[in-house]
Amino acid sequence: MTLPRALAGVRVLDFTWVRAGPWATRWLGSFGADIIKIEWPEHLDILRSNRTTIPPEIEPGPNAPGQFADTNINKLGLTINVRTPRGLELIKRLITISDVVIENFSSRVMRNWGIGYDVMQQLKPDIIYVSMAGFGHTGPNHHYTTMGPSAQALSGQTFLSGLPDKPPAGWGWSYLDDTGGMYGVMCVLTALHHRHVTGQGQHVDLSQMTAGITLTGSAFLDHTANGRQARRQGYPPGNRTAWPGTPPAPNYRGPTVAPHNAYRTKGGGHNDWCVIACFSDREWQTLVDLMGHPAWATDARFTQLSGRLQHQEDMDGGIERWTQTLNKYELTEKCQAVGVRAMPVQSAEDRVEHDPQLKARGMYAELEHPLLGRRKVQGVPFKFSKTPAEVRSPAPLIGQHTPQVLQETLGLSLQEIREGYADGTFWPKSMPLYAYIEEALR
Amino acid sequence: MTDGTNAVTADRLPGPLTGLRVLELADEKGQFCAKLMADLGADVVKIEPPGGQQTRAVGPFLDDIPHRERSLSFWHYNTSKRGITLNPETVEGKELFRRLVTTADVLLETFPPGYMPSLGLGYDELSPLNPRLIMCSLTPFGQTGPWRDYQTSDLLQLAAGGQMGCCGYDPEDVPDAPPIAPGGGNAWHIGSHFAYIAIMAAVCYRDVSGEGQYIDASVHEACALTTEGAVPTYIYTGNVVQRHTGRAAAVEKSEPTQFITRDRAWLNTTRSGFNLTAARLRRLAEWMDQYGLAQDLLDEKYQSTATIQANVPHIAAALEHFFANIPLEDAWRGGQEIGMPWGAIRSMAEIVHDPHLGERGFFVEVEHPEVGRSFTYPGPAALYNRSPWRISRRAPLIGEHNYEVFCGELGLSKADLAILAESGAV
Repeated sequence: MTLPRALAGVRVLDFTWVRAGPWATRWLGSFGADIIKIEWPEHLDILRSNRTTIPPEIEPGPNAPGQFADTNINKLGLTINVRTPRGLELIKRLITISDVVIENFSSRVMRNWGIGYDVMQQLKPDIIYVSMAGFGHTGPNHHYTTMGPSAQALSGQTFLSGLPDKPPAGWGWSYLDDTGGMYGVMCVLTALHHRHVTGQGQHVDLSQMTAGITLTGSAFLDHTANGRQARRQGYPPGNRTAWPGTPPAPNYRGPTVAPHNAYRTKGGGHNDWCVIACFSDREWQTLVDLMGHPAWATDARFTQLSGRLQHQEDMDGGIERWTQTLNKYELTEKCQAVGVRAMPVQSAEDRVEHDPQLKARGMYAELEHPLLGRRKVQGVPFKFSKTPAEVRSPAPLIGQHTPQVLQETLGLSLQEIREGYADGTFWPKSMPLYAYIEEALR
Repeated sequence: MTDGTNAVTADRLPGPLTGLRVLELADEKGQFCAKLMADLGADVVKIEPPGGQQTRAVGPFLDDIPHRERSLSFWHYNTSKRGITLNPETVEGKELFRRLVTTADVLLETFPPGYMPSLGLGYDELSPLNPRLIMCSLTPFGQTGPWRDYQTSDLLQLAAGGQMGCCGYDPEDVPDAPPIAPGGGNAWHIGSHFAYIAIMAAVCYRDVSGEGQYIDASVHEACALTTEGAVPTYIYTGNVVQRHTGRAAAVEKSEPTQFITRDRAWLNTTRSGFNLTAARLRRLAEWMDQYGLAQDLLDEKYQSTATIQANVPHIAAALEHFFANIPLEDAWRGGQEIGMPWGAIRSMAEIVHDPHLGERGFFVEVEHPEVGRSFTYPGPAALYNRSPWRISRRAPLIGEHNYEVFCGELGLSKADLAILAESGAV
């Protein structure tokens, strides 16, 4: 029996590229929407040209990067030159039969192409248009551009990560591309429900940088209501809730407790670390019991929270002497068995190969990709009782579905499609056609 | 394009989730998800234990005076919601909760797996009362699996989820540095974002089909999905990324992207090596020359890609010297004006004065009549031109809407409510 899809029948015209936008439409695809990814080979999606995730045995090319393949599952690939009159006319026809248009260009690109929101609205009065520019489409700096790292810096996200008196540690990936993508999905689904209720479409003008600021709310209010400066001694306190020897101040993560830190575990490798947190004196005593009552730990200095906060250096040193005798998974099991909060620091390899929970939940199923072969793919973090979110189809090869989409959605004849290839509308005349496209044109 | 006229008209329109009623039985793990819905117009009824939820005991507090009605953290995460108190472990509390469920579109809960069913309030019991109900359980590890009952915290989720494995320092900056968990409570944000999209997908399905359903959402899985290229790098190349200061964890060592400025603040240039072409270098050098700091970079020899590549360390040193001698504000805005996607590493002090954010209506004044003041809250991530985001009220006081909901909506008398309050049911 085929289970229903939550977004069956919803068509999304997807102009997004790089990471934030494609990560958004990946989720719309997993809910069952039809995603038509618009590309042009002369302006390749950066994820198609970045070589760092191409398997060593695969010949480099736009279909080879693993990161593109994982980010763009559940989509159809259409190549079309929007900068030609014929290409623009067909894009406009696609808009008239779509529910959603989504893009993450800088603020003026769509208007410059002649398909700004005013034009879209004329073509399809109830269209939902989600734009995902770094600074949004209004305001004096709307022309500024961001990538994840600069959006994180400007939003305050970078500042709140690191050790005191050191450079910011920031985020070791484009957190606001992932999260900007999540906001893109949220905007689409919210506007879609609104349209279901009112019959009206709208323009949702998302700003990636601004989204990051909304995730610093406690720090924001501490500044606006209490006037507390974030540039202060002992902040940010690394993995701790407070830095010893500095004036007590909020950490914006949760309650001020100790221990609350990362500790080395057996093996000594780059990711042989665990974290332990005790939220009460009772949890601390349980940890002391578990460590076998070492003499240092029974010192009265550590019995109460105030003492543990003050003497964190000695306490953390003592805890680490114990954690280094265990591997991070043994340690996690021992701690959790008695109710002590502990977890392994997990690398990507750990998550894919060693995490028993992700394995039990089926997070990394395999999917066949026409070039890359059978590979694991990142799954979905929720289980629906009626409309399962799915990993359905591999990322499109560039232009893989151009003939199919044009036939099925706009009713173009094979002859018209061949003419579009001949005149450079569907593929640059200067570039050779892939065999899979020639095959589709026979 | 959202033009000014639209924006003014839109101010009076209802939010996009108007008419959607959400029951929130969520602590720090899920209260942000319900805030996102409430600020977009949903009628979120936050159900706290009698006396208030423990999230009210988390600082910072207004004027640093700890009090359950002064937690700024609680204030931020609970805007636009109504608040009632109810103990679902009492017979009367259960009955009131069941009656509320019949009025709800969405129920979001973050209790340990098995707790709601143990009270007779699992999805299987609630769905017959309201087949259109969408119930989402957002828990640290999901409803099944060997870790489902494990204790957790924001720090623990960021360790297991892979965030810490990517964040930290180059040994040159901090020898033997630990992996770093970024602050701000982001494990709960990540979980709440995924819960939001799951719930809204189910709402959209219900709009069409009329059917509710149950969603089992896992914070751990949400975090495990939020490390960009780390997992694909492993899957496709077998390599594991290493932590670097303030830039992408990577298999190979890369050039720095953070530079100190004259005012002892930090600039982030996004890409290692500045991504320099001859044209970009020329624009940079002309700008640096305005400060008399271009050194030899205006020399014609740099108009060749080969010369640029042969002189990367020299160019990087000239740029580093340039940044160290100009203020942060000049550095990032100057870069943006010549097309560089650069950013200042800002703290709140700089953010609250940003005119761009001001013009986009980001600084929102929220009245708190009890303290006779209003406070500036962060505004919307996105502007909806036909159904605006707004904070409709400050976070609820403990049990603030008990009378309105239990008497006004469920028809209890004041005397009934008093008895229930005295017995600890509400």
